[in-house]
Amino acid sequence: MSRGRDPVVAPAVVLVWAAVLLFVLYPMSRLLALTFWDGGPTLEAVRGLLGDWTHRAALVNSLLLAILVGTAGTALGFAFALLAVRSNLPRWSERALDAVVLLPLISPPFTAAIALIFALGPRGLLSYHVFGLTNVNIYGLSGTLLSETLTYFPIAYLTLKAVLANIDATLEDSAFSLGARRWRVFATVTLPLATPGVANAFLLVSAASLADFATPLILAGTKFPVLPTQAFLQITGLYDMRGGAALCFLLLVPTLAIFAGQRRWLERRGGSFVTVTGKASAATRVKSLSPAAIVVLAAACGLVVALVLVCYLIIVAASLVRGLGADNSLSLAHYAHVFSGGLKAVRDTLFIAIVSMPVGGLFAVVLGFLVARTQFPGRRALEFAAMINYALPGTIVGIAYLVAFNDPPLALTGTAFILVVCYVFRYSLAGTRATTAVLAQIDPTIEEASASLGARRDVTFRRVVLPLVRPALLAGMTVLFIRAMTAISATIFLVSLDWSLVTVRILEGITNLELGQASAFSVLVILLVYLAVLVAGLAMRRLNAGSLGRAGTLLGG
Amino acid sequence: MILLATAFSVVLLLAGLATPALAQTVNVYTAWPESLSQPIFKAYTAKTGVQVNFIRLSTGELVARATGEKNNPRADVIWGAPGDGFAAAKEAGLLEPYRPPTWDRIPPELKDRDAYYTAVAKNTLIFMSNAKLLKEKNLKPPTSWMDLLDPAYKGQIQTADARTSGTALTRILSIYYALGKDEDKAVDYQKKLHRNVQVYTKSGGGCTIPAALGQTTVCIAHMPDAMEAKKKGYDMVVSFPREGVAAVIEGVALVKGARNREVATKFIDWTFSKDMQDLLDKNDVYMLPTLPDASIDAAVQSLMKEAKLLPVDLEWVGKNRKRLVERWVNEVIKE
Repeated sequence: MSRGRDPVVAPAVVLVWAAVLLFVLYPMSRLLALTFWDGGPTLEAVRGLLGDWTHRAALVNSLLLAILVGTAGTALGFAFALLAVRSNLPRWSERALDAVVLLPLISPPFTAAIALIFALGPRGLLSYHVFGLTNVNIYGLSGTLLSETLTYFPIAYLTLKAVLANIDATLEDSAFSLGARRWRVFATVTLPLATPGVANAFLLVSAASLADFATPLILAGTKFPVLPTQAFLQITGLYDMRGGAALCFLLLVPTLAIFAGQRRWLERRGGSFVTVTGKASAATRVKSLSPAAIVVLAAACGLVVALVLVCYLIIVAASLVRGLGADNSLSLAHYAHVFSGGLKAVRDTLFIAIVSMPVGGLFAVVLGFLVARTQFPGRRALEFAAMINYALPGTIVGIAYLVAFNDPPLALTGTAFILVVCYVFRYSLAGTRATTAVLAQIDPTIEEASASLGARRDVTFRRVVLPLVRPALLAGMTVLFIRAMTAISATIFLVSLDWSLVTVRILEGITNLELGQASAFSVLVILLVYLAVLVAGLAMRRLNAGSLGRAGTLLGG
Repeated sequence: MILLATAFSVVLLLAGLATPALAQTVNVYTAWPESLSQPIFKAYTAKTGVQVNFIRLSTGELVARATGEKNNPRADVIWGAPGDGFAAAKEAGLLEPYRPPTWDRIPPELKDRDAYYTAVAKNTLIFMSNAKLLKEKNLKPPTSWMDLLDPAYKGQIQTADARTSGTALTRILSIYYALGKDEDKAVDYQKKLHRNVQVYTKSGGGCTIPAALGQTTVCIAHMPDAMEAKKKGYDMVVSFPREGVAAVIEGVALVKGARNREVATKFIDWTFSKDMQDLLDKNDVYMLPTLPDASIDAAVQSLMKEAKLLPVDLEWVGKNRKRLVERWVNEVIKE
């Protein structure tokens, strides 16, 4: 192969590097300068942080919370995955399970935490009105843990479901026929095969928890400070941008460690998580779970599903009554507001999400292709650099963009362009991962055949690679769409007089006693995202993309 | 196909970059909810034809944003945000001093001495309680700071985190002035209050919905939060501590380097005219106007009869705010 001398790869590498330099490394360096440079190098910001007990506590708490949420979320996700693929459930109930489980993952931030307060708070629908408890404390570690687990366990579920589905049931069957009992088969066959998947799920859920600032903002209170929230408070409450940025860089250390760990796991497995095996396992009925175990599992998962449903029914209810708790008469006034005063935000958000999709999808696929299929100096560095915006808390990415792109010649603030760029470079990781995963399954000889027939690299890319990675492209684009519809932390600093976003309106509604409007906007966003996932799923089925067809699988990263 | 779509998107974006130049506009950052600010801005547009573009941001986000944009400001006016944000903005060099024509009629405690910012209105701290829960617990609405220390309120008080909001600063100042300007006593009191606090919310009015829906009994917030809740039909009781409360100023300032400076100053002039000040009452903003002769909301006025408003020394606050918050973090909430 004459990869090094290819006339097309080199410009592609240069282009991608240029984009990453401009939209990832440049803003980051501006931020680093802001934090550690004051007429000369300074560690003033760090020194100030170490002196504050809340920051020290926040570092410990963040790690603790990440581990707890990772553990609980993975366990719950594993239970759901077992139920979905190892219990011979009827097809419709598996679909229903998928639909409900996706709910917390695709809803705008704050929504889940607020709904949980109304369900399980001191006067919550479940805690007080159903169970008569009067002194529930939802604030602090327990409430944050519960809310984040409910929000992020779907990541584990979707990851593990794919893994479990790919474990050939005939392997279990052989163990059975050798006389092993159910528990032994589970412990010695199923579990070991799923271990890499479990580790991956744990890391993904932990990373999501580590970066989450919306949930602790509402539920953690002062007794349980965590880093992303502290950074936010430092910047917006104490007007200390330097200290806040330093906190974010502190958070970057464990986050990048997690991503590095996750990458190693994936590599050891040869990236074959999403392998479409096509083995004839469907013929045998899985029997790795006893009927009793299935009943217990179904009951446990049923409870969780019920809790999730109650939370979201409260949101729907709040959107449909005049004033939840004060005037419970039905009214469409909140939706009327969404489609009059809020219409611009809806339109803007959709426009930005739809524009981000192809741009980000193409970027992800090209980057994934370069990383997986070509050799060039700095390949690893490029892959790493492209991940930074994803790994950093949104608040700081938003501020870095604001600082970097406010002055000529790069005065991009106030435009839709900056929002699109922000999403493209923050949320393309899923698409890149999907691309490398798909490419790992495609024999390079196919491309070599194209090359030996005289096709140039770009022709090969367009005619051979692009069609083959279409599922990854679609998955990446769907994730980008979902994120663009629901993200807020970075973009709160980038919305402008001309461009507003639905999530900003939701946050505003929640802080300004407009619960009904916030709920109506949330319901609309959830419906739109469901629609997108549905369309993507149908398209995937036409592409025969197998387990990759679930865009949600990639939501975690 | 995908290449086409990408190309199309880029063209769309570039088209979006070229923003049409409007005749007369003023760009505003405000911390006031849209429901309060928009009617006032619309009134100005109706009167003058000048378009008021605005973004609503929380005070902290607003200052962070203005700081990031310092070299190329996007906003001309910061309009309606708690005073501490302006103190920070002044310190960061984001503002240009400006005196509206009615400057002399504005009481000194409502304006920055160097004219970097001026209050458009005064926002009073209140206690609001959920009437049903009070009755259930056989409690009267709290009428003293000391009432809140009653163990009956354990886990039944929500109020704002000192690191996030002007509301919290108003609360801390209220306690400081109510306890005779003795800082140690104020910190000591807050430590006791802390034992009864269920949670500190991250936005000033963040406890309004929980109190309205009975998740907590008492919410210490600002007047408009309570009045809005009452207007929405929630059964809330507003009360004041007899030792007194402070009021935060809601400031207005001209941004340094404003692109539409001339239009902006005219807008600020109008803000401090009687015309505009009367709108605060007419539009149910539930704050106290800056100009002494402006009309005051009847409901607010009758409530304010019960309130003892403590004078706040803006300069002292500017110098000591940081320490007050730090003491809150390091002494009050640290257990």
